[in-house]
Amino acid sequence: MNVISDIAAPQVDLELRGIAKNFGDFVALEHVDLSIERGEFVAIMGPSGCGKTTLLRIVAGLESMSSGQLLLRGQDISALPVHKRSTRLVWQNFALFPHLNVRQNIAFGLTLGRHDKAAVKAKVDEIAELVQLGQFLDRRVSQLSGGQKQRVGIARALVTEPEILLLDEPLSALDAHLRIRMQSEMKRLQQRLGLSFLYVTHNQSEAFSMADRVVVMNKGRIEQYGPPEEIYTRPRTHFVAEFVGSNNIFDGKVVDMQDGLIRVQCADAIISAAAGERPPGKGSTVSLVVQADKVRSSPIGMPGENMLGAVLSGREFTGSQVIYYLETASGGEVKMVAQEPFSQTGRAAINMAMQLYWSPADTVVLRPNIVPGVENMPGRHSYVALGT
Amino acid sequence: MASAIHPSDPLAADGRGWRLAGRLYMAVGYFFLVLPIATMIVFSFQKGQFASIPGQGWTFQWYGKLFDDGTLLAALLNSLIVSPLAATGACVLGFLAAYSIHRFRFWGRGAFSVLLVLPVLIPPLILGVAFLGLLSRIGLQGQLSSVILTHMVVITAPAMAVIQLRLGQMPSSLEEAAWDLGATQFQTLYKVVLPFALPGIAGGWLLAFTFSFDEFIIAWFVSGFEQTLPVAVYAYIVGSVDPSLNAVGSIVFALSMLSLIGVELLLFPILLSQYRSGDD
Repeated sequence: MNVISDIAAPQVDLELRGIAKNFGDFVALEHVDLSIERGEFVAIMGPSGCGKTTLLRIVAGLESMSSGQLLLRGQDISALPVHKRSTRLVWQNFALFPHLNVRQNIAFGLTLGRHDKAAVKAKVDEIAELVQLGQFLDRRVSQLSGGQKQRVGIARALVTEPEILLLDEPLSALDAHLRIRMQSEMKRLQQRLGLSFLYVTHNQSEAFSMADRVVVMNKGRIEQYGPPEEIYTRPRTHFVAEFVGSNNIFDGKVVDMQDGLIRVQCADAIISAAAGERPPGKGSTVSLVVQADKVRSSPIGMPGENMLGAVLSGREFTGSQVIYYLETASGGEVKMVAQEPFSQTGRAAINMAMQLYWSPADTVVLRPNIVPGVENMPGRHSYVALGT
Repeated sequence: MASAIHPSDPLAADGRGWRLAGRLYMAVGYFFLVLPIATMIVFSFQKGQFASIPGQGWTFQWYGKLFDDGTLLAALLNSLIVSPLAATGACVLGFLAAYSIHRFRFWGRGAFSVLLVLPVLIPPLILGVAFLGLLSRIGLQGQLSSVILTHMVVITAPAMAVIQLRLGQMPSSLEEAAWDLGATQFQTLYKVVLPFALPGIAGGWLLAFTFSFDEFIIAWFVSGFEQTLPVAVYAYIVGSVDPSLNAVGSIVFALSMLSLIGVELLLFPILLSQYRSGDD
C-alpha cells in the first residue's frame, strides 16, 4: 500500500488510476486516470450518462469499482468503506436530515463518536458564520430556502474537515439567479479554505466560471482535462469540440501542405489551418474546428484564405451578441457569433448570401485516431488534436 | 348555497336537486351506521333491563355490575395487555422487515415480502385451528402469550405496510449522506432511518393495536381461560343478554375510537404529504 504513496507527489490530493466500472454489460467507466492537486477546483462535465456521477460516487465510496485504484493524499483508499473515508459529498437534492434542525444537521458528522459538546458547538458556530447561516441555526430544515439548504449541506461537510470536497451538481436544484450568486460564493469559499473541490456538473458555464481545470467526459472516458481556456479554444477531440461552446466542425482530407499551413478539402471549400508540430500527412482524414466567434463575414468576392460562401438561415439575438446560423451549398450548418449586428452589409436578411472567413491560426486540426490504451478494441475511434 | 352564485344558470336548480338527494342519501347512510352504536351507548346508561323506549331513567348500574362481576373487566385488562404487546412486537418485526426489503436486494426478496403478507390472506378460522394445533403440541396453548404470539403473526403485515409506505418516502441519498459523514450502518439506522420512519411506526402500531383489540376468531381458539375481551363478550352473550354488554360495547367503542383518532392525527398528515426536508 505504502509503496505507491511514495511515488505519488506530495501535493497531489486525489489520484485516480485506471478506474473502471461495469454495470452488467454496460460499461459506465472505461479507464479513468485523473489527478487533482492540493487546493485545486476541478469540474467534471459531460452529458448525462457519461459516468461523471458514478465516478464521484466511487471516490466517495458509495459505489464499488470494477478495477482501479484511488489515492487520497498518497493513501490508498480503494478498500476503505464510505464512512471511513475523509471525502465528503454535497448532494444535488441536499439530502439534509429532516428530523434535525440546522445546527444538528451541521453537527451530525461531529457527534457520531465520542465528542466534546462545547467544542462541537464552537465548530458549528464557526462554520455557520463562514457560510452565512449564523441566524438560521435553530430553524427547521423545511423552513429554509433552496440556497440556504445547500449552505447547510456544504457546512455539514466542511465541519468535519474533509481532505477533499465532492460536489454532485449542487446548484442545479436552484433557480438561475441564485445559482450564479452561489457560484462566486462557492469559488471564494474554496479559495479561502484552500480545499480541493471535485465538482460534477452538466452546466458548461458553471464549470468554466469556477474550475481551475475541467474534465470533459463522454461514454465513461475522459476526453480532455485542462484549464477552461484550453478546453474552449483548443478542443482535443471531436466530442469536446461538439460539446463545448459553439464550434463549427468541418471534415475533410489533407490535399496540400506548405508554409506551415495544411490545406484540407472539405465539402464546400478548401480550408487552411496551421499545421502545428506534428502535421497529418497528405491524404489523411481530419476534422477542422473553428469557434463561432472567430468567424467573420466579408464582402462577396473578396479573395483570401478560408473563404466560405453560405446563406443566412437564422438569427438569434442574445443581448450582448448575435448568433447567425448559415447554410453552406452542401447543406452543412455554420455558426457565426458577432458582438453587434453588422452594419457594413446592412441588416442581414434571411436567405441572404454571405461570405465567411476566418484565420488559419484559429483553425484547430483534429485527426481521427485510435484512443490510447484501447487499441485492441475495434470500432472505438476518436479524434485527437494535433500540434498542441 | 353554492348554486346561489349562479342564479341564472338553468342547470343550477337541477344541480341543487341532485345535491339534496345526495345529502339525504348520505344522511340515511350515516343514520344506519351510527344508530346501533348510539343506541348501545344510550342503553348502557338506561335503567331498564330490556331495550325499549328510553325514559326509565339514567344509571351507571351496568358499568357498576361490570366491575362487580369481574369477568368482562378481567377480559378487558387481558386485552389491554395482549394488544399493546402484540402491536409492539409487530412493529419491531414490521420495521425490520420493511427496512430490509426497502434497503437490500437479496435472493428471495420477492418471496419474503409475499410470505410476510400471507397470514392476512389466510382465513382466520383456518389460522386459528392451525395455531391451536401447533401451540398445544408445544405446550403453549391457553395462555396470554399464545394470544400475543398469534396476533403478532397476523398484525405484522398491516404494521409493516404502513412502515413500508413511510420508508418509501425516504430518498436513498439520506442514508448515503449519513454514511458519507462517517456514520456506520447501525448509527445510520438509529440516527436517521428510525427517526424518519417514526411517524410510520406510530401509525402502524395504532393500526396493529386496533386489529388485535378487535380480533375474535383466533383469540377464541387459542386463549383458553385467559379470554380477551371479544371472546369474553361472546361467552357472555351465549349465557345471557343484559345491558352490561352495552356498557362493555361502549367502553370498547371509546377505546377503538381513541386509537383510530390517533391514527388519523398521526398518520394521515404524513402519508398524504410529500417528503419535506431537503427535497424537491
